[in-house]
Amino acid sequence: MKKKTNKILILLMILIIIAGILMIIFKGFNFDLKYQDTKQIEFGLDKQFSISDIKAITDEVLNNEPVLIRKVEVYEDAVNITAREITDEQKANIITKVNEKYGTDLNADEIEIATVAHTKGRDIIIPYVVPFIIATIIILIYMMIKYYKLNSGKVLLKTIGIIILTQVLLFSIMAITRIPIGRLTIPLVLTVYMLTLVWYTTKLENQLKTKKQEN
Amino acid sequence: MAEKTNKKENKKNNKRKSGNIIAIISCLLAAVLLSMIAIFGIYAKNGNRMVNQLKEISYGMDIKGARTVVLTPSTETNTIVKDAEGNEVEDGSSLTDDEITQNGYTKEEIPVNSSDVLNKENYIKSKEIIQARFKDLGIENYNISVNEENGEITLEIPEDDKTDNLVSNLVTKGKFQIIDSETEEVLMDNNDIKDVQLIDESSYGSGVYLNIKFNKEGTTKFENITSTYTNSTNSTNTADTNTTNTTDTNATENTTNTADTNSTDSSTTEDTSSEDTSKTVTMKIDDDEIMTTDFDEVIKNGEMSLSVGSSTTDKDELATYVENAKNIEATLDNEEMPIKYEGTKNEYILSDIAREQLNYVKIGIIIVIAIALLVLIIRYKLYGFLASIAYVAFAAIYTILLRYANVTISLEGIFGIAIVFILNYIFVNKLLHRIREEKEEYNLSKITKETYKEYFIKIIPLCIMAITFCFIKWTPISSFGMVMFWGILLIAIYNVLVTVNMMKLKAEKRRDSNEEKNK
Repeated sequence: MKKKTNKILILLMILIIIAGILMIIFKGFNFDLKYQDTKQIEFGLDKQFSISDIKAITDEVLNNEPVLIRKVEVYEDAVNITAREITDEQKANIITKVNEKYGTDLNADEIEIATVAHTKGRDIIIPYVVPFIIATIIILIYMMIKYYKLNSGKVLLKTIGIIILTQVLLFSIMAITRIPIGRLTIPLVLTVYMLTLVWYTTKLENQLKTKKQEN
Repeated sequence: MAEKTNKKENKKNNKRKSGNIIAIISCLLAAVLLSMIAIFGIYAKNGNRMVNQLKEISYGMDIKGARTVVLTPSTETNTIVKDAEGNEVEDGSSLTDDEITQNGYTKEEIPVNSSDVLNKENYIKSKEIIQARFKDLGIENYNISVNEENGEITLEIPEDDKTDNLVSNLVTKGKFQIIDSETEEVLMDNNDIKDVQLIDESSYGSGVYLNIKFNKEGTTKFENITSTYTNSTNSTNTADTNTTNTTDTNATENTTNTADTNSTDSSTTEDTSSEDTSKTVTMKIDDDEIMTTDFDEVIKNGEMSLSVGSSTTDKDELATYVENAKNIEATLDNEEMPIKYEGTKNEYILSDIAREQLNYVKIGIIIVIAIALLVLIIRYKLYGFLASIAYVAFAAIYTILLRYANVTISLEGIFGIAIVFILNYIFVNKLLHRIREEKEEYNLSKITKETYKEYFIKIIPLCIMAITFCFIKWTPISSFGMVMFWGILLIAIYNVLVTVNMMKLKAEKRRDSNEEKNK
C-alpha cells in the first residue's frame, strides 16, 4: 500500500515538473511588477488618501491590470502608481478621477509617465546564492558525519537531490499556477528548503534507529 | 491517630490543589497580560500624548519603504571660449558675450557626456561601478536597475542617517587628478591608483587617514612629484611639518561639498602661503579641488596619506568627515564612471505593503494559532490547556524579544516567525504526545530529556542555517536567520522553564488521583 502511494506521489511529481518545464518554455514565469519594465506616474494630492480608493480608480482605468500603489514621502500625501503600461489617455483618466474623488486640481499634462527598467534577475538572486551555498555545504557536512552509518556518500547525494527536487517542484508549481515571481518567492524557497531538511532529517533518524535495532 | 494523620494529609492535599489552581490562574493571567503587551504595547504619558514604551519593531526596506533615487546621464554642457586660432581661452567662461565678440572669440557648448559615451555598454558599466562602490562601503541592502536605452539608473536604498550622505556622493564620477597648480598639467590620474584605504586610528588618538596607494607607475610619478614640488621654506603647513607622508589636514573636509555644491575652495591654499617660493600640486576629484599642497620630503613608498577632519574636535562633525572619506575611498578604489550622472529624483517611497495588510497577517497568524491550540486542548485535555497557555506566553515573549534583539523584520523574517511558531507547536505536541503515551507512573524530566533530544537532533540543520544566515549582511537573509536563531533559542529555554513546569501541575494531579486509586 505504502509503495503504491509512493509510486503515485513520484508520478505526480514528475507530471508537475514536466508541466512546469513546458510552461516555463512556452509562457515563462509570471514576474511581479517590480521585476518587469514598468511605467510610473507620480503626483501630489496634498492631503491624506486611501490606497484602496486609488486602487479602485486604477482598476477601472487600467482594466484590473496588476498595479503597484505606494505613498510617497513622510507626509504620505503623494502617490506613486506603477503598472506594466500606462498610456497618456489612461493617465489623463486616472487624474480626472482622482480630481473628482479628492477635489484636487491636478493637471495631467504636468505629470510625466516615467519608464522604470526592471531589476535584473541576477541582481535579485546573487545576494541569496552565497548564504544558501555556505549553509547547504555546512549542513551537508553535518549530515555526512552524523549519518555515516547510512553511507555518507549516499546521504550526501540524496540530500542534494532532495533539496534540488523540492525547489524544482516549487518553481514548477509557481509556473503552472502563475504565482508571480517576486517578493514572496524567496520566503517560499526558504520555507520549502527548511521543511525539506526537517523531513529528510526525520527520515534519516528513523532509518538510523531501524539500523541500530537490526544490529 | 490515623484519623489525625489522614486529616493532615487531606488538608495538605487540599492546600496543594488550591495552590495548583492559583498557579494555573496566575499563569493564565500572565499569558493574557504578556499577549496584550506584545500586541498593543505599554503606553505611558509623555508630555501631552501617550507613547508606547515598548521598543519599535524595526522593519526592512520591503515593508517600510526606501529612498528611491533616479540618476540620469547629465545633459549639462561646459562653455568653452576659443580664440580666432581655435585655442582655448583661459578663464573664458568668465567673459561676457560682448567681450567674446569684441575679442573675436567664439563660444562652444561642449556636453559633459559626449554622444560617444552614451551607449548601453557604458550604462551597464556605470551601474556596475555603483554596485562595486556600494560593496566597498559595506552596503548590501539595495535594489538597482538600469534602463539600457537611456541609461537611467534607479536605486532603492534603506532610509537611515547615512542615506543623505550616500545619495550626495552617488553622482561623483570618480575622476581623480593631481595637477600642477600653476600650469594645470595633469601629473597623475585614476590609472596611477592601486588602492585606497581609510585608516581609522581615532580611538588610539592618532586620527583618521585616507591612504592612497599608487601602483608601480604611480609610485615613480609620485616620487618625482614629491621631489619636484618641494617646499623651499619652512612654512606652517601641516603637510610640511609632518614627518610621515601625511599631507594636508582638511583634505577630505572639502569633499563634503564635492557632489552637492561643487565647491572649489581649497582650505590648505592659505596654509602654504608663508612664502611664494614653492611649487604646489592640486588634487582634484571630479574637477573639484580637494587640496593644494607641496611636500617636505621625497616620498618613495608610493603612499599618500590624507588626514581626515583633523581640524575638528567635534565627534559628530568628525563622523561626517569619516563618512565622506569612506565615500571617497569607495569612489577612488573603483574605476571612474564613464558617464557623468545627475540626480533627477530623490524621494522616500513607502512600501506597498500597508500597515493594515501587516495587521491582516498578524490576525491571520493569531487565528491559525488559536485553531491549533484548540486542537491541542481537545486532544490532550488539561495538559493541552496548560500547554496552550504556555504557548500563548511563548508567542508574546518571542515577539517582545525580537523588538529588543534588534532584529530587522523583512518579508523573509515574517515567514521565519511563522516557522518558529510551527516549530514550537511541534515541540509542544511531541511533549504532550509522549506524556499521554505513558499510561501510569511517568518521569516528566525523563520525558522532557528524550523529547528535547529527539526534537533538536531533527532541527540541527535548521540551527546551522539560522546561525549561518545571522552572519550575512543582506537584510532579508539576516532577518530570517536572526528570527530563526532567537526563536529556536527561546524554544529550547522557554519550554524547559515554563511549559514543562506547567505540565508538572497536571502531573501532580495525576499522581494524586493514582495515589487515591491505589488506596
